[in-house]
Amino acid sequence: MSRSSPLPPEQVLEVADRLQRSIGDRFRDQIVESIYDEAEAISNSVVRQQDAGGVDWEQRIDRLVTSPIFGLPLMLLLLALVFWITIVGSNIPSQWLAQWLFWVEAKGSALFDAMGIPWWITGFLWHGTYRGLAWVISVMLPPMAIFFPLFTFLEDLGYLPRVAFNMDWLFKRAGAHGKQALTMAMGFGCNAAGVVATRVIDSPRERLIAILTNNFVPCNGRFPTLIMLAVVFVAAAFPPAFASLAAAGSVVAIVLVGVVFTLAVSWGLSRTVLRGEPSTFTLELPPYRRPNLTRILYTSFIDRTIFVLWRAITTAAPAGALIWILANIQVRDANLARLIADALDPLGWAIGLDGVILLAYIIAIPANEIVVPTMLMVYMGVGMMVDLPSLSALRTLLVDGNGWTMLTAVNLMLFSLLHNPCATTIMTIWKETHSRKWTMVGALMPLAIAFIVTFLTAGIARLLGLV
Amino acid sequence: MPLRKPSAAACHSCPAHAQMAKMGIQLENFDRVVALAGNPNTGKSTVFNALTGLKQHTGNWPGKTVSRAEGGFILNGVRYKLVDLPGTYSLLSASDDEEVARDFILFGQPDCTIVVVDATSLERNLNLVLQVLEITDHVVVCVNMMDDARRKGMQVDLRKLSRRLGVPAVGTVARTGEGLSELMSTVAGVIEGAIRTNPRRIQPSQEVAAAVATLTPLIEGIVPGTPNARWIAMRLLDGDDRVRRALLSGELAQLLSRQSARSRRPSRKIALEGAQ
Amino acid sequence: MDETLNLTLKGALLLLVILLAVGLPRLGLAAQVRHLRQMRRRVLLEDALKYLLSSSYQEQQVTSHALAGALDISHARALNLVAEMESAGLITSHTSGLRLTPSGESWAVQVLRAHRLWERYLLDEARMPLQHLHREAERAEHRLSREELDALDAHLGYPRQDPHGDPIPTASGVVPASQSKSLLDFPLGEPAVIHHIEDEPAALFNEILEMGLRPGSLVRLIERGERQLKMEIDGQQVTLAPVVAASIQVAEAPPPEPEREALVPLTELPDGQQARIQEIDASCRGYTRRRLLDLGLTPGARISPELSNAFGDPRAYRVRGTLIALRKEQAQQVLVKPTNQTSTPRNGEEHALTQA
Repeated sequence: MSRSSPLPPEQVLEVADRLQRSIGDRFRDQIVESIYDEAEAISNSVVRQQDAGGVDWEQRIDRLVTSPIFGLPLMLLLLALVFWITIVGSNIPSQWLAQWLFWVEAKGSALFDAMGIPWWITGFLWHGTYRGLAWVISVMLPPMAIFFPLFTFLEDLGYLPRVAFNMDWLFKRAGAHGKQALTMAMGFGCNAAGVVATRVIDSPRERLIAILTNNFVPCNGRFPTLIMLAVVFVAAAFPPAFASLAAAGSVVAIVLVGVVFTLAVSWGLSRTVLRGEPSTFTLELPPYRRPNLTRILYTSFIDRTIFVLWRAITTAAPAGALIWILANIQVRDANLARLIADALDPLGWAIGLDGVILLAYIIAIPANEIVVPTMLMVYMGVGMMVDLPSLSALRTLLVDGNGWTMLTAVNLMLFSLLHNPCATTIMTIWKETHSRKWTMVGALMPLAIAFIVTFLTAGIARLLGLV
Repeated sequence: MPLRKPSAAACHSCPAHAQMAKMGIQLENFDRVVALAGNPNTGKSTVFNALTGLKQHTGNWPGKTVSRAEGGFILNGVRYKLVDLPGTYSLLSASDDEEVARDFILFGQPDCTIVVVDATSLERNLNLVLQVLEITDHVVVCVNMMDDARRKGMQVDLRKLSRRLGVPAVGTVARTGEGLSELMSTVAGVIEGAIRTNPRRIQPSQEVAAAVATLTPLIEGIVPGTPNARWIAMRLLDGDDRVRRALLSGELAQLLSRQSARSRRPSRKIALEGAQ
Repeated sequence: MDETLNLTLKGALLLLVILLAVGLPRLGLAAQVRHLRQMRRRVLLEDALKYLLSSSYQEQQVTSHALAGALDISHARALNLVAEMESAGLITSHTSGLRLTPSGESWAVQVLRAHRLWERYLLDEARMPLQHLHREAERAEHRLSREELDALDAHLGYPRQDPHGDPIPTASGVVPASQSKSLLDFPLGEPAVIHHIEDEPAALFNEILEMGLRPGSLVRLIERGERQLKMEIDGQQVTLAPVVAASIQVAEAPPPEPEREALVPLTELPDGQQARIQEIDASCRGYTRRRLLDLGLTPGARISPELSNAFGDPRAYRVRGTLIALRKEQAQQVLVKPTNQTSTPRNGEEHALTQA
C-alpha cells in the first residue's frame, strides 16, 4: 500500500457509521439477498435433478406424524413405548447390578471386620457411603443406558423436531418456545441433561423458562418412587387383570400433570418475572435420516449417561454417609433420624405426608433415587438403607404400620413430581445460568409449589372427609 | 519418531498459537488446527466422529454455554487437531453459536476450515460457505450425504462446484466413510499450499458495493495486506460490535502480523521436498 | 430431650444463615449498602439533568422547588443536589431559574439516548411488550456506559426513532428534530401515520395501546369535537378523549405503494400453493428479521406451505429445499406473490400442487 497517511481507526469507524446511516436498515437485507442469489445460481449450475420416481415416503411420514388427528396421539404412544421399554428393560440388569454391588459390600465389610477395624468405620464406609453409591448406580444406570440411546435414536432419526412442531402452539400460549418440548423429553432421562439441552433455545428469556420448569418432568431417579406408589396403591385397587394397566395409566397421568404444571408455570413466569413476547420461532424440520448405531451408542453413553452418572455419584456418596450417621447416632432410645422425623411430623401432616417422608426428601436432595430406601430404613428402624420387601409386606408396613392412606400416596406422587430438583440439577442450573438468583429460583420455586399443592390437596381431602 | 515439522516448542513461541491457547485449545501435541463448520443437520458431527474416532474432548467454549468438541487425526505423520464449531445457518445473526463460529474462524485462525454441506440442499448450505469464503482463503467444502442425493436423483457436479467456489469440494458419505480420506488429503493439500485457492467473493448490490468500495481502502490502510478488508468493511457497515472493537484495539492488525510470520516459516511442502 | 434438641438444631441453622449473610465476599451487607447509595446518587443526578433538559425543550422555568416536586424529594435535598450540580459545572443558577451548562446538557442528552436506544433494543431484540419498555429503560439508562451505548447503537443499525416515535440523539449529542404534530392539530380526513405516543402516564399509554394504536399505524381523523375525537384505523372507527389524543403525535402518511396490493402474507397461502417472496414487512426488525433472512427467506425465493399441525400453527414451509416451521406471527410478516408455474418440481411439490 502506497497510501501516504492512513486514517486512524477512530476516523475509519466514523466514515463507516456515516455510510451505515445512509444505507440504513436495508444493508443486511441486501447482503443476505446477494449471498443467497449467488448460492442459488451456483446450486442451479452444479446440481442436475432427475425425477427419482416412486413414492415420496418422507412426505407421507411427515403428513402422518404432524397430522391434526394422529400427530399428538402418536407422540404420546411413542413416549409410552419408550417408558415401557426403559422400565421393563432395566428391571433385570438393575437386580443383577444391585446383587453384585451389594455382594461387594458384604465381602468388603466382612474383610474389615476380619481385620478388626471398629464397627463404626466399617459401617460408615461400607454401609453408609458405599451403599449410597451402589444404590444410585444400580437404580440409575440401567434405565439411563436404555433411555438415552432410545432418545438419541429418535433425535438422529429427525423425529424430535416434529415433536417441537406439534407442541409449539401450546408453548407459544405459555409465552415459551416450542423447543422446550425437546428439553422436557430429555428431562425424562435426567433433569440435569434436560437443563443442558435448553441450549437449543436462542432467546435467553425462553431458555430460562425451560431451565426453571424442567424439574416438572419426572426423571429416571423419580420414576421408581412413582412406579412403587402406582403398583402398591393404585394397582391394588383394581382387579388383577387390569392391575398393570392401571399402574401404567397412573404413571402416564402423573406425567401429564407434570406437563400441565410445566405449561402453567411457564405461563406464570412469562407474565411476571420473565416478562416478554414469545420470540421468533424458526425450526428446521430436517429430512429423516438413517441413524448411525455407533454414533448413537457413543453420544448416549459418553455425552449423556456417563456425564449424568458421574455427577450423581459425586453427590450420592456423601448422602449415603449422612444417612448412615443419622441412623446410627443414638439419643436415648431412638436414633437421630427418628428424632428429626418426629420433629418434622407436624409439617408433614399439614401436607398430607409425614415426618419420615420429609426427612427422606431432605436427605435425598443430592439424588432422588434414595428416597424410598431411606424412608423404609427409618420406618423399619434399622441402621442402613434397605431394599423393598415384597409388595404385600410393603403395603402392610406402610398402611398398617405407619398409617398411610390414599391421600399419602397421591400427595407423595405429587410431591415427588413437583419438589425441588436434585443437587446435580441445581449445580447444572448454576453452570448454565451463572446466576445465583436463578439457581435459587430454580431450586426453591418448585419446592414452594410442591408444598402449596400438597397442602391444598390434603386440606380439601380432609375437608370433604375423604380420609 | 521425530517429526519433520517445526517442533512443538517452536510453535508455542509463535503468536498465532498464543491466541489459540487463549481460546481454550491446547496445541502441545498437534501440528495443525482444522476447524469444522456447517449448517445444523448436515451430518457434521458424523464427519467429525468419522475423522477423529473416539478420542475426543468435549466441553464448553470459554465464557459461553456453547458446547465444543475437539479431536484429532494423523495423516502422513502430521498431527491435525479438528475443532468442531457449532452448527449455524449463517455467521451474521450474532447468536452465541454464530459468534463462537465466526470468532474462531477469524481470530483463532485455523490452518484450514472444512465446511460441511448437505448435498441434497446445496442452495441453503452455500449461504454459509460463501460467508466463510469472505473471511478466509483456506477452505475445503465437504459435500456430505452424497448417497441421499443419489437416491433423490440429484447429480452434483463437484468439479464445477470447486471451480465456481474457487476452493476444493470433496463428496463424502460420512456414515460409511466414503470420501473421507480424500477429504483429509485435500485439507493437507490446502494447508501445504499444494492446492491453491481463489475463493469466490460475494457480489453485493450497487448501493452496498459503493459503500464497501469507499471503506475497503481505508481498512487496508489500518491493516495493510489483510486478505479480508472487504469482509471487515461489510461487518462495520452491519454494525458488528466485535469487529469494531477488534479494529479499534488493533487486534486485527496483530492477527495479520501473526499470519505473515507464519507464512514466513519454512512450509511443510518445502520441508518435505528437502527430505526427498 | 426432644425439645432441647429441636432448639439446638434451629439455633445452629439460624447461626449458619447469619454467618453466610455477613461472611460471603462481595455480598457482605456493608459493601452492598455502599454500592446501593452510590447508584442512588447517580440516578438522582441524572434524573435531575433529564428533567432540566425536557423543561428547556418546553421552555419552562425550573426552580429548586419544581425540581424537588419532579423528583419527589424534600426541598432541602433538592437544594443540596443543585449545589452539587453547580459545583460540578453541570448547571448554572439564574434569576429565571436553573439552566443546563453545555456539559450538563450533553450528559442529559446521553441519558436520553440511553433510554431510547434501550427501548429500541428491548422491543427489537428482546421482544418485550411495548407497555413495559419505559419502566425497564428508566432503570437501564443509568447503568449503561458510553462504550456500551455506542456498541448498542451500531448493533441496532443507528435507529432514528425509539418505539414511541421519539427521535434518538446521535453519539455526538445531536437530537434530530421531529416533523410530527399533535393529533389535535392534524387536518381532518387526511391519512396520517402515528409517529409518537407519549408513554407517561402509563395508564393513558396502556389505554391507547389497547385501542390497537402503535407508532407506524395508519389513521384518519373523521371528526373533532369538544368532548371527543372520532378516527378511523384499519377500517374501524374509534373515539377518544382530547386528553388522550394530546399524547399522540402524527405526520402525513406516505402515499400507498401500488404494488403492495397484489401481495399476500404467507399465512394466507393454502397448503401446496407455490409463491415467491416479495418482501419482509418493515415492522419486522432486529433479531427476527435477521433470522428469517438467514434461513433464506429473501425476496425472490420460492416458498410453499407443506405441513400444518393439530393447532394450525406453526406451519412448515418448503423454502430453498428445506422444511422450515414458522409461527403465524412471523409468517404474517413475509409478503409473497402466488405463482402458478412449477419450473423444477422438487420434493413433493407436484404432489402438493394437485391438492391445491
